Amino acid sequence: MKKETLILLASIIVLPFVVRPAIATEIWIFAVFGLGLNLLLGYTGLLSFGQSTFFGSAAYVAGWLLKNYGINVFFALGIGVGVGALSALVVGYLCVQRSGLYFIMLTFALNQLFYFIAYQWTTVTGGEDGMPGIPRPEFLGIDFTNPMTYYVFVSILFLLALWLMKRIVESPLGRILQAIRENEVRAEAVGYHAPRFKLLAFVIGGAFSGLAGVLYAMLFGIVPLESISFVFSGNVVFATLIGGSGSLYGPIIGSFVFIWLSESMSVFWARWPLLLGVAFVIVVLFFRGGVVEAWTRLGQKFGQWRSSKQRA
Amino acid sequence: MAILETKSLSKSFGALTAVKDVSLSIAAGSLHSIIGPNGAGKTTLFNLLTGTFAPTSGKIFFDQKEITGTPANRVAHLGLARSFQRTNVFPAFSLFDNVWVAAFATGRSWNGLLYRKVDAYPQAAERARAALADVGLDKKSHQLAREISHGEQRQLELAIALAAAPRVLLLDEPAAGLSPEETRNMVSLVRTLKGRYTIVLIEHKIDIIMSVSDRISVMHFGSLIAEGSPEEIQRNADVRRAYLGGIAA
Repeated sequence: MKKETLILLASIIVLPFVVRPAIATEIWIFAVFGLGLNLLLGYTGLLSFGQSTFFGSAAYVAGWLLKNYGINVFFALGIGVGVGALSALVVGYLCVQRSGLYFIMLTFALNQLFYFIAYQWTTVTGGEDGMPGIPRPEFLGIDFTNPMTYYVFVSILFLLALWLMKRIVESPLGRILQAIRENEVRAEAVGYHAPRFKLLAFVIGGAFSGLAGVLYAMLFGIVPLESISFVFSGNVVFATLIGGSGSLYGPIIGSFVFIWLSESMSVFWARWPLLLGVAFVIVVLFFRGGVVEAWTRLGQKFGQWRSSKQRA
Repeated sequence: MAILETKSLSKSFGALTAVKDVSLSIAAGSLHSIIGPNGAGKTTLFNLLTGTFAPTSGKIFFDQKEITGTPANRVAHLGLARSFQRTNVFPAFSLFDNVWVAAFATGRSWNGLLYRKVDAYPQAAERARAALADVGLDKKSHQLAREISHGEQRQLELAIALAAAPRVLLLDEPAAGLSPEETRNMVSLVRTLKGRYTIVLIEHKIDIIMSVSDRISVMHFGSLIAEGSPEEIQRNADVRRAYLGGIAA
């Protein structure tokens, strides 16, 4: 087994004993959300500031069905993935018509549109109060209400999502998306219709966001209005950049840093986002590749230091 | 027989007419050069032929079929590949990945686009290797495009066009910015490609053109002012005036 896989499996086993199981669960859910964003951000070079559109839409729709019709967990996840992909298809279709700043502003504006629908439509979404009372129905005798059971369930889905994303970025599609990021004009000239591939990246990213959205709703038993807000979209961009958008594992590390910081620091220091700001400034100024780059550079330095010591 | 033809092709950008009433016929298997002073409209003509811009008026035929207004990404699939005047590669990719992307685009099948490994397409890989070998970069296939010299990037530029296995190759100043020695290498490279592809070559260094071309068209201020064999063009009074006028202006 590869080193990354081993570290990941070890973290999954150790994590719920280090932090509360709910936080451990949230870390892997947020990582799935980050994986979806990074297909756009890291691989295609598209900064989407509207990922919570797909996350929140999926959470509301699946949450509503769970609450009112008691559908089973897997069906809810399927619905979430579908809603995430479908909303990404609509939003993506509009956004890929433009590039650069206009693209970013479109993702943001459409996010706001979805946000205000959720805000106004109080009879369904609960508006500012959110949509509480989302159950985790038992399935085939598995009791998902047990925090550890749910943690294991989420971890397995996370590993599955990671495996899927790994296949996608190592497929021709992954390379074509990177080619579009590197040089869109040339990618068109050699025969790829860039908007269509960007849209495909959107839909896949949306499906991942949708999966994360439903898992999130079931974790906390509520769909907070915040889950479809631009702040949430910003959080996942933040986390991914801190982790490192140039690598498949960057968003996972980013999710760990972000959730762990926010959950552990917010308890005793209300101004904890300051820390996040500092972390972000350090990343932007010194480690453009995020924690992943910092780690590899540290490894190289250590290697040099060791070899110079051996010589001496 | 003509493989690529234009009929009264024009392109205006506002008040500026960059290409004016150009009717051109490229014979299959030939090396046809388009020369003219800077700003004569050569690159704009290429942009029209490859669908980067739609013409303001006129028609384009490829293999007897009209392709006017076909967007760039579909023109590539018809068998029309181009290289760019300004190096236009994928900087963070290895040389192999640069050409692989082009080879895969026009490859026979996109099956497994989302889940098969990139190395599971032997045909595309084979074509990519052949394209690099054709331009003499096969030994550097694992280097990154941004790390090689300008001269090598010009070769890579050509290899990306070749990897699409085109029927017609449109080369936009392949020797742009090259040293005299690199230019000689590029000319001999183009000569080896002659006969394997129909080639349309833009150049404004006349000495290069005269030695390799079967036929030459001369553009000046967006219009075609002469067409003929290299000898005929050399003797043509209008051509001399256009070039001298271009320098004097």
